[in-house]
Amino acid sequence: MLSYLIRRILLVLPVAFGVSVICFLLVQIAPGDPLTAIMPIDATAEEQAAMRAAYGLDKPLPVQYAIWIGNLFQGDMGKSIASGRPVAAEVFGAVKNSLLLAVSAAVIAFPIGIFLGFLAGYFRDTWIDRAVTALSITGVSVPNYWLGIVLVIIFSVNLGWLPSMGAGPGGSQSWAWDWAHMRHLLLPAVTLAVVPIGIVSRTVRALAGDILSQDFVDALYAKGMSRADVLRHVARNAAATALSVMGLQLGYLLGGSILIETVFNWPGSGFLLSNAIFQRDLPLLQGTILILALFFVAMNLIVDVVQAAIDPRIQRT
Amino acid sequence: MPKFLKGAVAIATAVALSCATMANAQGVLRVGMTAADIPLTTGQTDQGGEGMRFMGYTVYDSLIEWDLSSADKPSVLIPGLATEWSVGEDELTWTFTLREGVTFHDGSPLTAEVIVWNFDKLLDDTAEQYDPRQSAQGKSRIPAVASYEAVDDLTLTITTKVPDATLPYQLAWILMSSKANWEAMDKDWEQVAMAPSGTGPWKLESVVPRERAELVPNAEYWDETRIPKLDKMVLIPLPEPNARAAALLSGQVDWIEAPAPDTIPAMTGNGFVISSNAYPHNWTWHLSRLEGSPWNDIRVRKAANMAIDRESMMPLLGGLMVPAKGFLPPSSQWFGTPTFDPSYDLDAAKALMTEAGFGPDNRLTVKALISPSGSGQMLPLPMNEYIQQSLAEVWIDVEFMVVEWNQMINLWRAGAADEAVDGAQSINFTYFIQDPFTGLIRHLDEGLIAPNGTNWGHYKDPEMQALFEGIKTTFDPVEQTAVLQKTHEKYVNEALFLFVTHDVAPRALSPKVEGFVQAQNWYQNFSSISMAE
Amino acid sequence: MAMAEATSIHAPEKVEKSKGYWSGVGHRLVRDPLTMFCLAVIAALILSAVFAPYLGLADPYKGSMIARLKPIGAPGYPLGTDEQGRDMLARLIYGGRLTLFIGLMPVVIAFFAGSILGITAGYVGGLTNTIIMRTVDVFFAFPSVLLAIAISGALGAGIVNSLVSLTIVFIPPITRVAEAVTSGVRKLDYIDAARASGASAWTVIRVHVIGNVLSPIFVYATSLTSVCMILAAGLSFLGIGVRPPEPEWGLMLNTLRSVIYVNPWLSALPGVMIFVTSLCLNLLSDGLRSAMNVRD
Repeated sequence: MLSYLIRRILLVLPVAFGVSVICFLLVQIAPGDPLTAIMPIDATAEEQAAMRAAYGLDKPLPVQYAIWIGNLFQGDMGKSIASGRPVAAEVFGAVKNSLLLAVSAAVIAFPIGIFLGFLAGYFRDTWIDRAVTALSITGVSVPNYWLGIVLVIIFSVNLGWLPSMGAGPGGSQSWAWDWAHMRHLLLPAVTLAVVPIGIVSRTVRALAGDILSQDFVDALYAKGMSRADVLRHVARNAAATALSVMGLQLGYLLGGSILIETVFNWPGSGFLLSNAIFQRDLPLLQGTILILALFFVAMNLIVDVVQAAIDPRIQRT
Repeated sequence: MPKFLKGAVAIATAVALSCATMANAQGVLRVGMTAADIPLTTGQTDQGGEGMRFMGYTVYDSLIEWDLSSADKPSVLIPGLATEWSVGEDELTWTFTLREGVTFHDGSPLTAEVIVWNFDKLLDDTAEQYDPRQSAQGKSRIPAVASYEAVDDLTLTITTKVPDATLPYQLAWILMSSKANWEAMDKDWEQVAMAPSGTGPWKLESVVPRERAELVPNAEYWDETRIPKLDKMVLIPLPEPNARAAALLSGQVDWIEAPAPDTIPAMTGNGFVISSNAYPHNWTWHLSRLEGSPWNDIRVRKAANMAIDRESMMPLLGGLMVPAKGFLPPSSQWFGTPTFDPSYDLDAAKALMTEAGFGPDNRLTVKALISPSGSGQMLPLPMNEYIQQSLAEVWIDVEFMVVEWNQMINLWRAGAADEAVDGAQSINFTYFIQDPFTGLIRHLDEGLIAPNGTNWGHYKDPEMQALFEGIKTTFDPVEQTAVLQKTHEKYVNEALFLFVTHDVAPRALSPKVEGFVQAQNWYQNFSSISMAE
Repeated sequence: MAMAEATSIHAPEKVEKSKGYWSGVGHRLVRDPLTMFCLAVIAALILSAVFAPYLGLADPYKGSMIARLKPIGAPGYPLGTDEQGRDMLARLIYGGRLTLFIGLMPVVIAFFAGSILGITAGYVGGLTNTIIMRTVDVFFAFPSVLLAIAISGALGAGIVNSLVSLTIVFIPPITRVAEAVTSGVRKLDYIDAARASGASAWTVIRVHVIGNVLSPIFVYATSLTSVCMILAAGLSFLGIGVRPPEPEWGLMLNTLRSVIYVNPWLSALPGVMIFVTSLCLNLLSDGLRSAMNVRD
């Protein structure tokens, strides 16, 4: 196990390096001058040049990369062009809010997905199975940004039950686990949960169905095991795969919440990213993507290791 | 009642109650801004007019300010931190007398030395307090300033490079931050940003970047009539128009800037109030005057202006527009009495085009730069498509070059002669036209031909140049107004732009908002507002 | 999104597919009414988009200020008009052109590119495999939505930019599946036999490998189409995909958002189109999967 762990961690290093290069290059493929967005439109060429030098954008590429990566190791991700604040502080603050949203969505989605999938797999080819399958296909097919808008119209504007935007009455910095704040979380979390409910239930259905149909289940029954024991066996066998799917889903929730955060004005990393895109705030864009990608890499690593711990056969591959 | 039903009712009541208590928070005004972030809080704001409106004239003051007390007349300059000012015989040296007894929010006194320190913050990059971010916003606003000096505690002199009577308008841009506070914050502007100190009617109590800023009244404000009545004003950036509308309709904010026209019926239907007023903004096509441009023919320019039925654009904008009769809004004090009326007259327009040698079989093609979005651009695509259809009636075929807003700004800076504009002879741009420089001079001054300035179309005209010179050298306000009017008359009589419309700065307000007077200005006074129970 | 689940696709256990296999697939498909229905819907969408100019529709670009926001069923406008007074029916059908093109093309390109890369890596192995697969790993480190938005956001709006960013997003997962399937097939005995018999590498790949690996890769690729559709429309919805005034469902959804208070049904239409299309693509992919006996 230890050697697997070390091998797996070593594999992460080149990936992390590649990720940093891609993030750096992203900024270089961007057309136009990133400083345009923040200068008053009457600014003279001279004033623009002074600004460019202040942000180090006048240096050659490899030098910029070296400086950037060097600063990264000191925890300095540069300053946002639009706000002038350190990128690291902005990104970590936003990632915290995104995590809150992603984990909440996962807390809603995973139990429901597992329950539905298990139900469908157990009652394979019955009306229950078909209903769950229809539900999960709908879940993965619905554009969730559109669903979010519809939910806002119904629950915020027409019914007035839930707020349409923001992370609580006092903003994200005064977050508390009380109803005043959690009602802000409800709509975006539910919207975000729809896709993983579909995916998790599909996965669990396939796993449960497959294992239940296999000969060893018959053998277990033949051995005189009770229904409950068989179910427990099946669950353990499916756990490794289900865990890996859910781990990845959590990563996707974090990286994929940009559209939902935009719809709900949720102050997370996706919202930050879309602001960065529209203000052409390239250091911020770079930093946000880098952190999210590294988080995703770490998530993958954890999933692999946990999976290997549950199902030792995996270590050999 | 069954048990579960009781539970449901209890929950629903709790929800309704919590909604009600939130909406009722007394004396707190929550504003949804169009900016994506809280404007720069350290003094000189970013985020354009909105930044000055909410973080500039609220927390800070300038030497000379705009009068925001009236909705009925265009606003004029009034004394701010300076009580009086005059220019010397040399027409270069201005003397300002500062207001006595003004203190910053941190308690430190306002002195001429602090004003000088503030100018250095923007203009002297060797100064310790030089802040590139504030400088980027403020430096270009005071091109006339050559030097400045504190004579005594309450007397300041400013020397201009050349005689320039528009200096007071330039100074209305420059906001004064506290030196003592900057020193207390380890001379670090980033720290100042979280706890700034100005002299304005509002104090910044707290700020969460990108999420909210909370302002509370400055009870010691020097102008008693402008001490805020509210307990608190909360600023929330909501750049997406529909998120803004939803936030207002669901009671999360009490006020939104620039509601999308199509959401207005839903707002008025629910008792919300739409406030609007004329203000110095225009939506035009800036025309190229380079050799070979079809716009060099005054008949074509006039015909194009008369081909647009501006009233018919009303439904698209929910009625929230003022049809243009010139470059400045008709209510402007500098509008004058031009002889050319660009109002819709298709027959006259066709006659002019015929005279210019065009007709159904000899159509004119012009190329125009437009952007699908952009600050102050209203609804650029449908509006431009409407213009395209209108001009086709007078045999002018418009070919659009659609670019992103940021690219558009670059092309606007580059000027009509730049390769990147690809021969476009027109650019759809909206202008802040609040003072003589931004309103008239910068667009057509031959010293400001792009890319060195903002004269996009390379316009050159000795008569116009003489008028601009007149504006700068006429120090008597009444006479200066006369020159400004003459200048604008020339703008209109020669149809130097395609005049289309003026925005009316719509904002949607909860019926609880009381006492707001919308000035004919980019900035507003929030002190008179209170919230009904 | 749905991409993660199928990366663990298994190599087919059954090798050497004969004519009988394909006719079997055909038979099974025809006997699956749901899949056939979805196929018909997708075909109808594609055909109407392609032949839109011949359907006698209104001009999807020409608006009218006085005919703005007509409700669904208004005389002369079966599906109403949009915020610029343009015919919604025409815009939705014409909108299918760009939406389907940008929603499907990246997967098609990625299918070819990913298959070539994956089969090469899987068959050749060694250093080639390492280089290709480690590069793929790097791209895999980005969640798909994030990667697409990052690239599109940096490049700016535009049809070509959207195609590029989405293709880059979908090459790595397809490559990974192709490599896994190919490595699996390669280990089978009969490939060794074919090699031993002196057949050239190219012949072995063409005859034995491609025949056996393409169908699982293909099935996997079809499962990505719905994700790609939603993502492509999402880019336009965010404002970094197709530029106005082109009709495109995601962009229409965006521009009609402010109408939602005035005419909610109208503003829901583009969303419904995206939803229905992606639903049919998903069901179609599922149908294909079971018809082709590919296990996941």
